[in-house]
Amino acid sequence: MNDMLEKFSYDDSVVRKFVLATIIWGAVGMLVGVIIAAQLAYPALNFDLPWITFGRLRPLHTNAVIFAFAGNTIFAGIYYSTQRLLKARMFSDILSNIHFWGWQLIIVSAAITLPLGITVSKEYAELEWPIDIAITLIWVVFAVNFFGTIFKRREKHLYVAIWFYIATIITVAMLHIVNSLAIPVSLYKSYPIYSGIQDALVQWWYGHNAVAFFLTTPFLGLMYYFVPKAAERPVFSYRLSIIHFWSLIFLYIWSGPHHLLNSSLPNWAQTMGTVFSIILIAPSWGGMINGLLTLRGAWDKLRTDPVLKFMVVGITFYGMSTFEGPMMSIKSINALTHFTDYTIGHVHSGALGWNGFIAFGLIYYLVPKLWKVPFWSQKLVTAHFWTATIGIVIYITAMWAAGITQGLMWRAITSEGVLKYPNFIETVVKLQPFYIARLLGGVLYLTGTILLVYNVFKTIAVSKAQKADLTDPSFQAAPLTHDKEEEENDDKHSHPTPWHRKLEGKPLIFGCLVLVAVFIGGPFEFVPLALIKTNVPQISSVHPYTPLELEGRDLYIKEGCYNCHSQMVRPFRDEVLRYGEYSKSGEFIYDHPFQFGSKRTGPDLHRLGGKYPSSWHWKHMREPISTSPGSIMPRYPWLYENKYDLESISSKIKAMKTLGVPYSNEDISNAAINMDAQANKIVEELKSQGEAVSDTEAKSEIIALIAYLQRLGTDIKAKTETSKKDNNK
Amino acid sequence: MTDKKKEDELLNHDYDGIQEYDNDLPNWWKQLFILTIVFALTYTIYYHLGPGLSQEETLALEIKQAEKIAKWKADEEKLNAPKDINAELMQLVSNKSALEKGKVVFEGQCAACHGAQGQGIIGPNLTDNHWIHGGTIKEIHSTIENGVVEKGMIAWKALLSKDQLQSVVAYVWNLNGTNPTNPKKEEGVLVNR
Repeated sequence: MNDMLEKFSYDDSVVRKFVLATIIWGAVGMLVGVIIAAQLAYPALNFDLPWITFGRLRPLHTNAVIFAFAGNTIFAGIYYSTQRLLKARMFSDILSNIHFWGWQLIIVSAAITLPLGITVSKEYAELEWPIDIAITLIWVVFAVNFFGTIFKRREKHLYVAIWFYIATIITVAMLHIVNSLAIPVSLYKSYPIYSGIQDALVQWWYGHNAVAFFLTTPFLGLMYYFVPKAAERPVFSYRLSIIHFWSLIFLYIWSGPHHLLNSSLPNWAQTMGTVFSIILIAPSWGGMINGLLTLRGAWDKLRTDPVLKFMVVGITFYGMSTFEGPMMSIKSINALTHFTDYTIGHVHSGALGWNGFIAFGLIYYLVPKLWKVPFWSQKLVTAHFWTATIGIVIYITAMWAAGITQGLMWRAITSEGVLKYPNFIETVVKLQPFYIARLLGGVLYLTGTILLVYNVFKTIAVSKAQKADLTDPSFQAAPLTHDKEEEENDDKHSHPTPWHRKLEGKPLIFGCLVLVAVFIGGPFEFVPLALIKTNVPQISSVHPYTPLELEGRDLYIKEGCYNCHSQMVRPFRDEVLRYGEYSKSGEFIYDHPFQFGSKRTGPDLHRLGGKYPSSWHWKHMREPISTSPGSIMPRYPWLYENKYDLESISSKIKAMKTLGVPYSNEDISNAAINMDAQANKIVEELKSQGEAVSDTEAKSEIIALIAYLQRLGTDIKAKTETSKKDNNK
Repeated sequence: MTDKKKEDELLNHDYDGIQEYDNDLPNWWKQLFILTIVFALTYTIYYHLGPGLSQEETLALEIKQAEKIAKWKADEEKLNAPKDINAELMQLVSNKSALEKGKVVFEGQCAACHGAQGQGIIGPNLTDNHWIHGGTIKEIHSTIENGVVEKGMIAWKALLSKDQLQSVVAYVWNLNGTNPTNPKKEEGVLVNR
């Protein structure tokens, strides 16, 4: 046998790169988070600068944390563990490097375009189409590199970590492509092919499963490698691995609609979101218990081993969030928590607790191995652990309290049948102390990360000073034989699940089964909604936006208004009292993309049209506290200076027409003229209301935005008015 | 079922030194999984084939109940109501606690458009003697109650209780003649009290 051994080495240099990218982007992403948290507590920190207002920075924060911090963590862990689990060097060093540098370039392009307001506005998929294409290409590079490694492996069977990596790579590709389909208008602008409720459903199928397949399955894979390695204990139950892996990846896809509970999404789809979320509890906890029970007999190591300390707390947060999530998917609970800071608390217990702590555990495991020296300071490691843990606890409790407080205030109705807090601002002002506490929690967590970065760089310096040998470690192993006898021997081993064991040796079939498992849920959600007309009842009075309104809508998207304002009045008594008629799915059919939002830092805007005179918006956007004392909304002075875009409006309308919005050819050719005409009307109205509008302001973005805001949710009012008139006849 | 498997039997797996036990799944985990599936089926049947109400039906029911209660209250008030709304409102004009209550409502709801001192911003000045929609206390009450929707003034009866509404009317009545800074110019017709 021995003469058959092959010599090979592992590519650790790409892992080192990914580790460094992880900690640097982690610190950057968290810093942006701290900045926007500070802006909510102290709105002056928006500094009247377009590029750093909350609405533009919040997507940068989420993208940086998800795709830069968590993304690089995943790649570092996958490149390190895959080679070792498969006993093979990565398929191609060139592809590894293209993957690394390509991904970093994508992050940099996100960091540039998002503050400029170049965004699609679909959460965690904000990046515009050229970057979307780049993501697709780099992901394919990653996939080829990964599956190539599988095919040249020297370990016949795939370990559970690899299963999770396979599911990640296949599903993320599917989600990203389907959700990003759009028609470009220019290099910086595109419209999604879906509209309204359909767009929302696709978006949250994506958004929910980005959580599942970018922040859960790869991290579970990492857990399955690094926890048993650090604990030096066998994995608790192989059978549990099988059951929870397949049930998790199959069930996750179905529960996306729980992001749209109590909305105008058809009831059957909402039920799907609720029940599949509840069924997800056990599969999620399967991962938690397999991780925690692996530590049986090694709990004492927690005292000394920072890797296990971080990972165990991470797994515990995973268990907690995966229970909290299903609870929030129950409609009556969701009615209270949705649109509030409770959700922000929930995602941060996942992101800071689970993703963050697994990432930190991984880095504390990898750095000494990759740079061949012990950590520069163990004290700093301990300090990191405690600042981060305390930071999370403060963060989440502040957000829980804020969410429940605001949720209860919104729905409070007095015995006389009126809203107890009719002024939305009252509920915002109440949250100020919680926002300050959250800021403190975030600062603590960021401080911990800075300690980590400092410690890693010091460690690398020591490694350099000692001239540590960083050449790739080499190994020997026998190549895979296609020896029938050996295969049978293996299967004869009275294996508990011989069929699955066989499957683990057949990556191609395994991958296909994964694809089938993750594919099924999607069509069950999208197809009935697209094909069955009664799902989205038509409303005859709903008509397309005028050119100026469309331009205003694009500005609404550009400024990221959806980050703080919803456009979805839920069918609750308090919301009907506060905002007006609840939203109907038929009202959104021309909305490419949808703008339902997921958070109400400010009030819902769906019935805003006609609620205030235009002069109110004119004053409000320039100085929100002039009309809403106590408001924490940023000022938007640049909207009064930048001209609205006359040049691209025709191509925008044309693109909308391609997407099926019923515009005529005249609408396209006269777009610019119609735009100016409507702008003039609004300017006249403003002047009649006593506003001084200069000539430059008369053609500025604010006019377009006012046009859009005054249009919001009015189509259905027109309908009730005409039907009233009809009745009078 | 007595031949229960021994705990912690190792499988012949070894991946980069990682081994796996052949432990069965914990019983409570299996039961939890089954329980959630039962819940899912029950939930679906109850809401889609059984008596469960859809969200729209729930809302309609709630509104119907609220309207019923409102009607009772209105009937009751009619029985006890003073004959003259003018007199009832005028009584509040000198009632300290009503004015305090009115001030809170005014600052929370009205100041956004009429200014903290009633000097007028988007909405008209409330401190001068000029009124667009009538300056008698009854007319002020009606303007606040029903709004002037086309001009952006909300019908406040949906948002304020009867008590709050009357106190803010009294508060506004008393704003007359105060001298705010930066008053908005007079609008409407002169009304002498």
